[in-house]
Amino acid sequence: MRHLAKLLLVLLALIPLAAPTAAPAQNLILQGATEPPGLDLTATPASATATVVFYNVQEALVKVDRHGKLVPWLAERWNTSDNKNYTFFLKRGVRFHNGREMKAADVKFVFDRAMNPETKHPAVKQYEVIGDIIVKDDYTITFALKSTNANFLWTMARQGSVIYPREAVETLKSEPIGTGPYKLGEWVRGDRIVLVKNGEYHVKGLPKIDRVTLRFIPDPNAALAALKAGDVDASMFGLGPEHIPDLQKDSRFQVIVGETTNDVIMSMNNAKKPFSDVRVRRAITHGINKPDVVKGAMFGLGRVLGTNVDPLNPYFVDMSGAMPYDPAKAKKLLAEAGYPNGFETVLKVAPQYYYTVRTGEVLADQLQKIGVKIKIEQIEWGQWLSRVWKDADYDLTIIGHAEAWDIANYANPKYYFRYDSAEFQKLFQESEVTVDDKARRELYLKMQKKLVEDAPVVWLYIHPRLAVTKKGLQGLWKDLPAGAGVMDLSEVSWAKQ
Amino acid sequence: MRRYILRRVAAFVATLFFVSALVFVVVRVLPGDPALVIIGAEGSPEAAARLREALGLNRPIPVQYVEWLTRALRGDLGVSLQYDVPVGRLIVSRLPVTLPLTVMAAVLMAVTALPLGLYAARRHRRAGDYLAMVVSQIGIAIPGFWAGLLLILLFSVHLGWVQSGGFAGWSGGLWPGVRSLLLPAIALGLFQTAVLVRATRSSVLDVLREDYVRTARAKGVNELSVIAKHTLRNALIPIVTVAGLQLGQLMAGAIILESVFALPGIGRLALGAITARDLPVVQGVTLFVASTIVLINFAVDLLYVVLDPRIRYE
Repeated sequence: MRHLAKLLLVLLALIPLAAPTAAPAQNLILQGATEPPGLDLTATPASATATVVFYNVQEALVKVDRHGKLVPWLAERWNTSDNKNYTFFLKRGVRFHNGREMKAADVKFVFDRAMNPETKHPAVKQYEVIGDIIVKDDYTITFALKSTNANFLWTMARQGSVIYPREAVETLKSEPIGTGPYKLGEWVRGDRIVLVKNGEYHVKGLPKIDRVTLRFIPDPNAALAALKAGDVDASMFGLGPEHIPDLQKDSRFQVIVGETTNDVIMSMNNAKKPFSDVRVRRAITHGINKPDVVKGAMFGLGRVLGTNVDPLNPYFVDMSGAMPYDPAKAKKLLAEAGYPNGFETVLKVAPQYYYTVRTGEVLADQLQKIGVKIKIEQIEWGQWLSRVWKDADYDLTIIGHAEAWDIANYANPKYYFRYDSAEFQKLFQESEVTVDDKARRELYLKMQKKLVEDAPVVWLYIHPRLAVTKKGLQGLWKDLPAGAGVMDLSEVSWAKQ
Repeated sequence: MRRYILRRVAAFVATLFFVSALVFVVVRVLPGDPALVIIGAEGSPEAAARLREALGLNRPIPVQYVEWLTRALRGDLGVSLQYDVPVGRLIVSRLPVTLPLTVMAAVLMAVTALPLGLYAARRHRRAGDYLAMVVSQIGIAIPGFWAGLLLILLFSVHLGWVQSGGFAGWSGGLWPGVRSLLLPAIALGLFQTAVLVRATRSSVLDVLREDYVRTARAKGVNELSVIAKHTLRNALIPIVTVAGLQLGQLMAGAIILESVFALPGIGRLALGAITARDLPVVQGVTLFVASTIVLINFAVDLLYVVLDPRIRYE
């Protein structure tokens, strides 16, 4: 009996050795500043929605990768013989989160719906170029364009072009379904969104994280405290540049400072005096010392800009030295324009975006030296959208334009810049239908030169990507070429300890 | 009493009606368009215009209000523009955070302020009194959000005793939930506690000077009885009045502290809804808060009768 007991004890002791050891679940808790206004990428262009859904829950036929290159994604390849008819060959065996395989009919449904004005897709204009969509078989689909469009493939890669199953169209806003590496776990409104691993993801071996919790902590100091207390593993958006030097010295963390598409600009109302005079706009540009703005407002983090195209764009040209800081020249230009003693003007900023206020304060100080007295008026974001962005009821304003490929704004005289140049508009139209890369590059250079010359706005700096993570987290993008809010978590993992 | 209650109920309904109409008009007259906020600066004004039409925001304000009121009377507060979830459900989902937070802050306020105020009054113009007054002065001077950050720095970042923010929920038991609300409740209650200490002190001081207290002492009644029966009960009416008003202020203070501590409560819901111009939510939350404050005031009035049998409502 005693022997039997001993034997049992030995067997019991062996059980843990014999049982297969399951890999510990890999979890990730992230801090984000802004809760999305709904999760439907076909209803809102908000970057907070893209942060959660784009690349993580839903994907498009084509993807902008971490280097800013267009790569085939849900389509394994495409071809076009005339730059008007694009045929996409879908990747086989890609399943939506509801288990059903993605077919060409789903793709057709998605784009038919986006093109229908009834859908109220925020980027409906981008799809107007599509004439017909022909499903050839379950995995082959052709888009016949009305005219050549150099941006078509980029349009297919945008967040509004994600593919979802047609049976889930009603729940896109609260429970989006897609083909992404993560499924939506739960959304506790006002608190967090949980993403769980999609075990049937179409890219083998990904994702490596089992559960991602995105906590919404709007206050930057609270976000910093959560990071330091170890309550979150990474702060993705929301820490300011003032937090970075301290965190760079802390051995527990790694700091990611990268490029984005978010160009921070000071717009001048081109339709309103005195900014309707190009000499005044040039004077303002010459009166601003951009490196000092970056030092004063951003702790030196952020690349000085000279024109609209951001450094992650393939057609970027560094024009930061084209209109250098030259207060004497600025004063001379102001005198020529009839303002020898300068003038008073109002700068409207929305404190929801911290950098707008700080940048405004530095600019007000600098421009005072050329006689331009700036009164800063802080308005709430909802008011900014109505008064400044929609009605152009402003003199000066500062905001970051986070969207990639946004040079089109300068070709739209109704946009809040109210910049109306027939020459620029012609160049832009030409660039839209020029598919040859070399010729298009040439046109982009001409457009940028024209913008520098006309100075419709002052391009100040690129708002840097500032993310801080615990040591050991790997696979995050350094730069954000697909849009400043995009957070691709598909390749993220914890380094083995 | 019945007539009094009926009168109060009528006043309650009138207050809610007035508040709802006022908020409805103010929120719609202010610059800022929910459709624009949803579409954002990355979209186009045309897309915003289409959305505005779909949300029914183009119709005249009185028409919108009557529609809203008709539905509200049936208990339907509408659907959040931002979340696409019924407003009633959103408010109910936030109650398990804000309600315990406010109650904890109120309990903290009562158990700290009453003894401290009483102590200060009994030690009038002596060291203990001055110390209590200095401490309460500091409590009044420190804004709640700043106190919150200092508490996070000490107890979360340095000592690691509690988490820095967020709400653990009630599903894992009572303690995790209480633990996550502890620091915010202290930060929230700090100012009100300090105010109540001062109110209690001065009210007790007034009563201690009354003849009946002197008489009681002269009769040889023991001090505990003098304080508990003769002093405190008589001093309570002004204290309860102040405390009742403070309960309403605690709810208002929760708006800021819920942001500092990243708590998904009513306050943060309100703040987010105002920024996002989520009109049905702003409307619903305002009505909810207004009703709560009216009800608290009503409860305070009824409490007077209990505290002072001479008070009659006819």
